Amino acid sequence: MTREHLLSDMTTTRGDRAALTRRTMLAGTGAVTVSALAGCLGGTGGGGTGDGSGAGGDSTTTAPETNEETQTLDNHPAAAGLADQPYRGPDPFEAEATIIAFEDPSCPRCRAFEESTVPQIMEELVATGTASFVFRGYPVIYPWGKPATQALESTFARDAEAHWALAGHYFAEQTSFDESNVLDRTREFLAGETDVDADGVVADAEAKAHDAEVQSDLEAGMAAGAGRTTPNVFLFKEGEYRTQAAGSVSFSVIQNALGL
Amino acid sequence: MTVRLPTRRGDWRLMGRTIRLVLGYPVYAAFATLAGLVGLSVFVLSQNVTLVSDVVVGGSLPLSNRVAVLVGLYPFLGTSFSVEAGLATLVVAALLGVDLALVAYHVREHGLSLESGGGSAVGAFLGMLGAGCAACGPAVLVGLLSLVGAAGLLTLLPFEGLELTALAAVALVLSIFWIADGMRGGMIRGCPVEPPR
Repeated sequence: MTREHLLSDMTTTRGDRAALTRRTMLAGTGAVTVSALAGCLGGTGGGGTGDGSGAGGDSTTTAPETNEETQTLDNHPAAAGLADQPYRGPDPFEAEATIIAFEDPSCPRCRAFEESTVPQIMEELVATGTASFVFRGYPVIYPWGKPATQALESTFARDAEAHWALAGHYFAEQTSFDESNVLDRTREFLAGETDVDADGVVADAEAKAHDAEVQSDLEAGMAAGAGRTTPNVFLFKEGEYRTQAAGSVSFSVIQNALGL
Repeated sequence: MTVRLPTRRGDWRLMGRTIRLVLGYPVYAAFATLAGLVGLSVFVLSQNVTLVSDVVVGGSLPLSNRVAVLVGLYPFLGTSFSVEAGLATLVVAALLGVDLALVAYHVREHGLSLESGGGSAVGAFLGMLGAGCAACGPAVLVGLLSLVGAAGLLTLLPFEGLELTALAAVALVLSIFWIADGMRGGMIRGCPVEPPR
């Protein structure tokens, strides 16, 4: 289906207008807008399908149920497998605050988050030893985010610093990536800017050698209620879950939500 | 009855004049402002219900922290919205406020007729629903397209969700037009709704 076909499904063509009654048109508009609203309100709570290489999990997921048990880094879904995740700053289990960010390299709002919020987190919370910042790849937006996330996991398996450099490269040059060039450009960047085996990373990404790690992040995000919204940030203070923030929230929101 | 669309310059003048006359009443201007602010809050906060519930409404943070979190979620006061999405959200909220003020005036002064007033009220209601997606971006589009098994088509929509905002704005503008059209020939504050030719 072309863009024109798709857009024509969302609008009314000139030829149709005369035949439509006002009520019919309202009903049509309503069907789309009600669906859209449902999407909005469910933005942090569910949805998502997978194809094995990227977005995984059930099509209907729910946020973690509230129960008597205190949610901590030991039992909160967002922190599943936390010990194996790339992080900046103090050990996530030891830090005063832990910020777990689910991000898609292809997501424009994640780029905004990386540009406007993460530098302040690094400077004011991570560098001071107050907070640990954990990155979890969560490719649910554009298709090229899936191979990019595979490459990130393959890089992390070799060199954590190279992983951060590659993630930064994806966000900085986001608009220049697509499905057809992402792995070639990944190879080029890693070979030129890092010491890791660039060909090995790309071969692993193509073979999905680290797909288990990708799926682990996706399952954690879905189980935690991230749904299809990125960035999705889960905040912990002294090991206890405090809240979840969706979208490119500001440093002030994160700092104040953590009471720091 | 066929759908009337604001295709002529006179239609837009009619809308502008009706809005100006209705909002000339301080009570309807205040109502429009309040409705716009409420609408904006609903659009913004619905995207972070968990955060608002845990931190702003619940939890044990001092008031200053709660206020800072709340304020930081609004366009241009925080970083949750891009400039384009923030502007679009404010425009839709403003349209919603104007629309609801016109609906309120129409209901109060003319009652709701099934043919025109009913259509206007339904238009405003649906417009309000659509406006809820003003700033949701790709995630909502993915959700919508997934309903028809076409999540991959997101790549064909170049504006990252602003398409939905435009849809909401169109619904609200149509609603405003239909309300104004329904009052054609009437008087507001002693002035004819129909612009003088």
